[in-house]
Parts: sequence; C-alpha cells; structure tokens
Amino acid sequence: MIIVTGASRGIGKAITERLIEKGEEVFGLARSVNGLNIKAIECDVSDYTSVKNASREVKKLKKPVKAFINAAGVASMNMAVTTDESTVQKLIQINLVGTIYCCQLFAPILLRQKYGSFINFSTIAVALALKGESIYAASKAGVETFTRTFAREMADFNIRVNCIAPGPIQTDLLKGITDTQIEKITSQQIIPKQFQKSDVCDLIELLIDERARSLSGQVLNIGGV
Amino acid sequence: MSKVNIEQAKKIVIKAISDVLKRKTKISEDMQLIGGESLLDSMKLVEVCLLLEDLADEHGFEFDWTSETTMSKSRSMFRSITNLAEEFANQSDV
Repeated sequence: MIIVTGASRGIGKAITERLIEKGEEVFGLARSVNGLNIKAIECDVSDYTSVKNASREVKKLKKPVKAFINAAGVASMNMAVTTDESTVQKLIQINLVGTIYCCQLFAPILLRQKYGSFINFSTIAVALALKGESIYAASKAGVETFTRTFAREMADFNIRVNCIAPGPIQTDLLKGITDTQIEKITSQQIIPKQFQKSDVCDLIELLIDERARSLSGQVLNIGGV
Repeated sequence: MSKVNIEQAKKIVIKAISDVLKRKTKISEDMQLIGGESLLDSMKLVEVCLLLEDLADEHGFEFDWTSETTMSKSRSMFRSITNLAEEFANQSDV
C-alpha cells in the first residue's frame, strides 16, 4: 500500500492516479475525501491530532506500507513584506510542520517493517532563491533539511527518505502566475522548460522502486539547478 | 483499559529490552538506557519503544514515546528501566 497526502488535488491527485494505473493500492489522506475513488480518510496534515488519528487508522489496516508520499501543500507567491501573518503561519504549518507530523507519526509503521520510503515535496524556488517566494521557499527549505536529517535517522531501519523539488508545474498552486513569469523561472533551470505533472509521477515511480535503493536524503530538482 | 502497576511495568520493560538485546545481557532495574554507559544505541532504543507500543496495545492503552525530554540525561523517561517502567505504568492509567 502507498499512502498519499493531498490525494484529492493537484500533484497528489496525479500521483494517486498514476500509482493506481500501475496497479498499486493507494490510500489517500485529504482534507476532503468527497469524490475520491480510493480508500481514504480525512486528515488535516497541519493538525497533530488529525495526523495521529490517521496513523492509528492505517495501523489498524495491518497492511505493509511501501511508501508514504507527502504531497499536501500550499503556495503563496508574494514578497515577504507584503505577506500577511496568517499566510505565513499557514505556509509553515502545512508545508513544513505537516510534513514533519506525517513523517514522525507514520514512521513507526515503516520502522516495524524495516523497509519503505518517504517522499517529501519541496520546490525549485529553494535552490533558485526565487524573488517573491520567500516564505513559501523558506517553508520548503525546512522540508529539504528535514528530509536529509530524517533520512539519516531512518537509514538503520532500511527506510529511505527523499524529496522532489519541482519547478512551476501546472496545478492550482500556479493560479495567477503568468506565462512570462513561468518562463522567467524555467529559464534558470539547467533544462530550461516547464515540466508536467507526469514528470513528477515518473520520479515518484523511480523513487519507490527497489532499484532506487541507493538513494536517500536526496533533493531532486526537476529541470536541474 | 487495564492499569499496569509499577512491578508489572518493570517486567514488561525488562522483557522488551531483553528481546531487543536478544537475551545476551543480564538486565538490571537501574540500568542506564541512554548516554555513554547504555547498552542500547538509538536504533535499539527505537526497537524497544516499538515493542512497548505493541505491549501497551495488548493492555488496552497507547504508549506515547514522543517527549520533549526523551534524550535528556536528567529528565528523560529513558534514564533507567525504573524510569521507563514508571512512565509506562503512568500512561496505562490515563
């Protein structure tokens, strides 16, 4: 079984659909599970008790967990000086704290198995230090550091932890971003083009595969930096 | 929910540690669980916690091993078997 957070929208939804297409059993965690065609439970990743309850429910299933994918996230493209307090809190709480809660509270399930993989999500905005994304990038920089250190803590248990850092992928998170702005970002990548959700799904497939057993604690920047 | 008393808790904790150490070492109640003299490295400590979680499950309660003071030499529940047993017994009574 593979667990995906944010399974009802954006990249999480695309990953869920791809994994099902590949014959995987996917269990979704989402704030709203209405309309989801997979086994799923409501979970607000930014809320410790909500994540704890979700981990209890998954533990009761007594099914091996091959991978846990932290795809839930929010974005806000704004200068730090014009970002309001609640947006700052929300970005850190969902993107960083939510990832930490999910990893720490679901880790015991994978620790027992002595195998499995966590995949977290960052953004290329961290490596490129993109203007207008300071708070968002800061929340994701935390995810990258957490990924690298958590990977070391999990390594003795044969659990790998990696992070995917996409550039501007076409999802709701990009609402309001113009083509010119997107081009300005992608032009800074080593491969200067806009990648798609399917490219993220390809990387997910790679990272959960046994053939990626040598990869842990890595941040994979889509497009390259 | 069944209350686990301190003596039962000590037996449970000693058994868990003994299982993790594959019964190669004699376990005493004052044995240090973290720090330089400890027989448990961080990996084995996690294994003990996972076992205690399972044993707590059998006794009808949830053992929470996250704590602000987990690795503190002066305040941690992992200072000694007695401290860990006390914490286990306390959590059974919540």
